Amino acid sequence: MGDAKSEVLQGTLDLMVLQTLEAMGPQHGYGLARRIEQVSEDALQLNQGTIYAALLRLQQRRWIAASWGTSDNNRRAKFYAITKAGRRQLAAEAENWTRIAGVISRLLRLSER
Amino acid sequence: MTRLFVLASRVRALFARGRQDEDFARELDVHLEMLADDYVRRGYPRAEAVRAARIALGGSMQLTEDRREQRGLPWLDTTLQDLRYGVRALRRNPVYALVAIATLAIGIGAGTTVFSLTRAVLLRPLPYAAPDRLVRIFETNPLKNWARNIAAPANYADWRRQNAVFTDIAAYEQFDSTGSGASDVFLTGFGEPQPLKALGVTGNLFSVLGARPLLGRVFTDEETYAGHSRVAILSYGAWQSIFGGDPSVVGRAVALSGRRVDVVGVMPRDFFFPGRDVQVWLTVGYDPSIFVKSRRPHWLGVVARLKPGVTLAQAQQDMNTVARGLERTYPDTNTQMGVRLENLHDSFAYAPRPALLMLSAAVALFFLIVCANVANLQLGRAAARAREIAVRRALGAARGRLVRQLFTESLLISSAGGAVGIAVAFAARAALLRLSASALPLFADVQFDTPVLMFAAALTLAAPVLFGVIPALQSSTADRLQERSDAGSRESRATSTLLIAGEVALSVVLVAAAILLARSLLRLRAVDPGFDPDGAVAFTVTLPSARYPDAQTRLNAFEEIERRLRAEPAVEAVGATSTLALRGFTWTGDATVEGRAATDYERELRHNSVTPGYFAAMRIRLIAGRLLDERDTTDRPPVAVVNESLARTYFHGADVVGRRITYGRPQDHSPWVTIVGVVADEQQDALDKAAQPAVYSSIRQQLQNPMTFVVRSTLDEGAMIAAARRAVHAVDPDVALTAMTSLRQLVDDSLGDHRLQTALLASFAGLALFLAALGVYGVLAYFVSQRSRELGIRLALGAKPRALFAMVVRQGMQPVLVGGAVGLIAAVGLTRLMATLLFGVGPLDPVSYASTVGALVTTGLIASALPARRATRVDPMTALRDE
Repeated sequence: MGDAKSEVLQGTLDLMVLQTLEAMGPQHGYGLARRIEQVSEDALQLNQGTIYAALLRLQQRRWIAASWGTSDNNRRAKFYAITKAGRRQLAAEAENWTRIAGVISRLLRLSER
Repeated sequence: MTRLFVLASRVRALFARGRQDEDFARELDVHLEMLADDYVRRGYPRAEAVRAARIALGGSMQLTEDRREQRGLPWLDTTLQDLRYGVRALRRNPVYALVAIATLAIGIGAGTTVFSLTRAVLLRPLPYAAPDRLVRIFETNPLKNWARNIAAPANYADWRRQNAVFTDIAAYEQFDSTGSGASDVFLTGFGEPQPLKALGVTGNLFSVLGARPLLGRVFTDEETYAGHSRVAILSYGAWQSIFGGDPSVVGRAVALSGRRVDVVGVMPRDFFFPGRDVQVWLTVGYDPSIFVKSRRPHWLGVVARLKPGVTLAQAQQDMNTVARGLERTYPDTNTQMGVRLENLHDSFAYAPRPALLMLSAAVALFFLIVCANVANLQLGRAAARAREIAVRRALGAARGRLVRQLFTESLLISSAGGAVGIAVAFAARAALLRLSASALPLFADVQFDTPVLMFAAALTLAAPVLFGVIPALQSSTADRLQERSDAGSRESRATSTLLIAGEVALSVVLVAAAILLARSLLRLRAVDPGFDPDGAVAFTVTLPSARYPDAQTRLNAFEEIERRLRAEPAVEAVGATSTLALRGFTWTGDATVEGRAATDYERELRHNSVTPGYFAAMRIRLIAGRLLDERDTTDRPPVAVVNESLARTYFHGADVVGRRITYGRPQDHSPWVTIVGVVADEQQDALDKAAQPAVYSSIRQQLQNPMTFVVRSTLDEGAMIAAARRAVHAVDPDVALTAMTSLRQLVDDSLGDHRLQTALLASFAGLALFLAALGVYGVLAYFVSQRSRELGIRLALGAKPRALFAMVVRQGMQPVLVGGAVGLIAAVGLTRLMATLLFGVGPLDPVSYASTVGALVTTGLIASALPARRATRVDPMTALRDE
């Protein structure tokens, strides 16, 4: 199954998707992929298809919901929106992430000395 | 919770596969378009942009495939795929599917049916606390030929006082032979007098059993004794049917056979003791002296609870010591009086256990036959599918995957078979209950409850392992495409032949056992019961002691009833007895024969009290002397009619009429009784038990209550019963007729267990033989169709049809004869185990074995002859043209 890939990376992508949806409101898959690439200033080279694995995973956990809508240039596209449970998850994960990031950066600084 | 959502979504996805794939494809398309637009905006030419977009997104096939895995449940997907494929494969071959499913349905149905009986009798725990710690205590006495006898009250009381191994011992009355040994009492004051089955128990019985009441309380120890015993506990059934489940009945007084008792409790629905026929429990209410003095008559069933940590063997040892002590203290009554301890459940299931074990073994064999048969069907089909399998292997299917596929098909067949089997077992339930009504003990409640259904499910799952694995492994090895019918099918034919031989061997065991049982049943039926069972009914009348306090009032009532019955139209003869034949219960005692040495006396003389009309009503043959008559009254010297068995054992066939005996030992100096006549033996306990010495006294000289009336008439049974009711109620409208039966029914019921086991075993055996024949037929038919070209050529070249016929038959009979021989040897070994179930035939009865061989050979020949005939009719031209 797809879960064989690195847990951290999966989690990171999921977190980015949630954060993006929270910040920008409902998005379609393409918009999300573009946005994540832009924000990461192309440091994170996504194979754009992998966004769909993350989207399905988040949907299955009911952290996001999907519905068909119309895009800016008048195309029928599937839009994803963060749910209440998703926001809760995002808050928890973000805090978690910041804490771990803090711990790791301190660790790295310590070992530099 | 989140995990649950994921699972739910995956499960949902299984059912919307197509729509979701489509959905995702559209989503990807839109994505591609947007991405391509982007590239176009950055200055790529359109075609280039689309290509770049595809690369950036990733392969859509791969994405879709990944998504499918993430979305559904992959293993379930494969299984569903296998199932769909399996259903399609079975649909292509409906005859095979139907035969296999029907065969399995019979096997699973038969197994389930027998299990439902076994569970009811042997497996379902008794509804008491820690039931495996409960034991029954019997008295044994080699002098009296007792192996499992009920106990004398004083012995019971001494056991209770002197043992060191039981927390307590309780006792209950065994006064009747019908049902649980409970007596009839009559509840009055609630409309018609209602007959109830009542059991007298000691006050501690319920606490020994560890049974709690649903309402009210159980008895106290003190209530065992006279003066404290006006208490009753109702069964759930009686509480519901008589009092409509009214809880206020607890504490109310009711009249039972004229005696006022207070209802103190109601037992829960599941509770029974010792059988489900008992509707009300009363305390025995004996004077305490009974438990001290009464050591000669025996009437108590005894049940005890082992102290924690004490084993049955230790208890037996301790009780042996107690019994030996009593033997020393009371040599007069307790000489050689031992005890026998049995686990309570084992003692309840004592009689039906051998038959149930035999049936369980038989149905296990039958199930194996069923599986062998289906395996055989699959092998035949595998040969035909060899090509398909080979193609699939060539296309890269892994062997494991193919085995799994074939196994899924097996599971599919067995599930269908299981479902039909359960339905069949359920449908046959009514017939089974009717058949087993008189065969199973009264505590058994045959149900199709959860464990029975679980058992059916287990059989359903076990079947594919038994019948599916060998064919699956064998056919999955076919890997070369050119392989069609040579090596592979030779191997599968060898397996087939082996399977058929095995089937035949198992069938022979069943057939031999069934024939032995059937011949036993015929022998039993041929036993002369000693009376004429046709055209007569019997019923029991119990006179309540409250209104019939003494012998004279009772005698008057019984004689008046008999007179009224005789006055009914079309009644030919009427009589009454204290002990009806085949009910196996009577009072027995010692007897002294005049002229013998003072130390020499007889034991276990059976006592009957009868009206003079009894012998005519039963049509019991007079052999010598005279029958009892109206003149044999209390003011005349006591007389008796004896049975042939007594004349033979006590007097060794010498002239008996005019000889004298006493009912007691020489030192008892009981009054002399003159023998006035000898009648033919009645079968007392059962048709397969030899008659024991018995005396018949006139009720005028030896009154007993209750009495069982026998009415012989030309009327049909219903009219006879109506007439009997009329006559009895004319004498006393508050007296009920109980244990109503025709004498024919009485004889049939006494054969109930034999009938049940014979019917079940015979149907297994018949079906087994049929399945074996089907196997032989199937393999031969396939053989003939495969070799029709060769057969055609041989016919064309001048082979005699008869020779071809013989060749095919020889081939068919080979596994039949080999399997038959093996089966006969096994049967000789196995039927020995059922010797106790047989009557009048030995386990090696040559007639039974000859019939078995006959049935086997006939079946084999018929099964072989049909394909063999086809072999001789192959048209050479058609066979050749086919090529």
